[in-house]
Amino acid sequence: MDCAQFEEIVHDLDRAGTQGLAVRDAALIHAESCDRCAQLMTEAESLDFSLQLLGTRDVDLEAPARVEAALLQEFRRYKIESSRKSNPWRLAALGAAAAVLLAFGLLLRHELAHVHNSGSPLQTASRQAALPATASSPSGAESEQNQNEGSEYATAYVPLPGASDPATLEGGSIVRVVLSRSALLSLGLPVTDAGAGDRIRADLVLSEDGAPQAIRLVSQTDTEQ
Amino acid sequence: MAEAMELTDDGLVRRMIAGDEEAFSLLYRRRHPSIYRFALHMSGNTAIAEDVTQEVFMALVRDTKRFDPARGTLGGFLYGIARNHLRKRWEQDRRLVPLLDDEIDSPSSIENSNHYRNGTSGNGFHANGSAQANGNGNGNGHHPVPLSRDEFASLETIGRVRLAIATLPENYREVVVLCELEELSYEEAASALDCPVGTIRSRLHRARALLVEKLREAQPVRRASAVGE
Repeated sequence: MDCAQFEEIVHDLDRAGTQGLAVRDAALIHAESCDRCAQLMTEAESLDFSLQLLGTRDVDLEAPARVEAALLQEFRRYKIESSRKSNPWRLAALGAAAAVLLAFGLLLRHELAHVHNSGSPLQTASRQAALPATASSPSGAESEQNQNEGSEYATAYVPLPGASDPATLEGGSIVRVVLSRSALLSLGLPVTDAGAGDRIRADLVLSEDGAPQAIRLVSQTDTEQ
Repeated sequence: MAEAMELTDDGLVRRMIAGDEEAFSLLYRRRHPSIYRFALHMSGNTAIAEDVTQEVFMALVRDTKRFDPARGTLGGFLYGIARNHLRKRWEQDRRLVPLLDDEIDSPSSIENSNHYRNGTSGNGFHANGSAQANGNGNGNGHHPVPLSRDEFASLETIGRVRLAIATLPENYREVVVLCELEELSYEEAASALDCPVGTIRSRLHRARALLVEKLREAQPVRRASAVGE
């Protein structure tokens, strides 16, 4: 060890966890052969002693009791203040939660009402099939357009030739079919020959015995432009 | 009560946040002496030390959630607040107290003048090294019986060391107070002062070298006064 190294560690010779303590023996050997470093070590030891003396003397120093009293008073005041502050927030949170619940309830109600009113195409057709006589006028070619769920359009039901009395259709059913234009002609509907191979969607009202009683044409905006 | 005493700092802080006054009181009693001593050694003034101690724990009451156990110990957190308050205090004092002519001549004296002057003006440490009694009966104030030669030598030594520490630059003084007087490890001091361990080591090394120089300079004065007696 040389003097420069000794000076680096002279203040750590007794400090746990430092390099000084690890090389203490080498430092002592160096100090025995170097007067200057021996003096540095003596001064460092004296300083250690003085600092320990000072530390020991002041170890019992503490703040006067009035500081603790003032702090406890402040603690109580702050506790009351913070509980006051937190109440409006709680009320606001409760209000917000109630508003969200109300909005959700209204939305749910609206959705249920919408589903109930529109139903599925088959349900709609069934409702209309229950009153084919009222839904269809003798001049069924008027092509009365019904809007179904915003994207499906249908004509009124047109009784087919040889259909039974509408009153007997109570037990009937509706079937969604796709027919060619020529098939519509064979059912007696007034369609032109042009495009005889076109496929046309239709709802067919069947009686209890399966005989076709009425028909309506259906158009879906997403499939048939 | 005994159960509460065994609680860790973190546990007491949690209870304190929940509004437990006893937990706060325990925390204060456990932690305030070291904060008070730190402020006293840094300022040399008992009134400032009291104010700083009060401010530190008020900050703990108001901003407890700022303390994150994952980032360091409560002790380190409190020392950090104390340090900030001391700096603010010195800034205020610098603005309020007019500098004397002889202080203007010496830059180092400007750095240390306010708190040290306050400390020797009857409200801090006495020249013989003892702290002024602080009103709660636990100060190491005046001795009612004459001092023996050894006791006098000890007090003289303490006084000189105290004076030497008080005249160190602030960044050196705080490492001496934390590592030497409060016996914090380098790691704990680094956490308290928010700097790397290597910085603490080098500052302490430099601070001790300065203290040795200051004490060496003070030595002939003592000898001369002893001869004069």
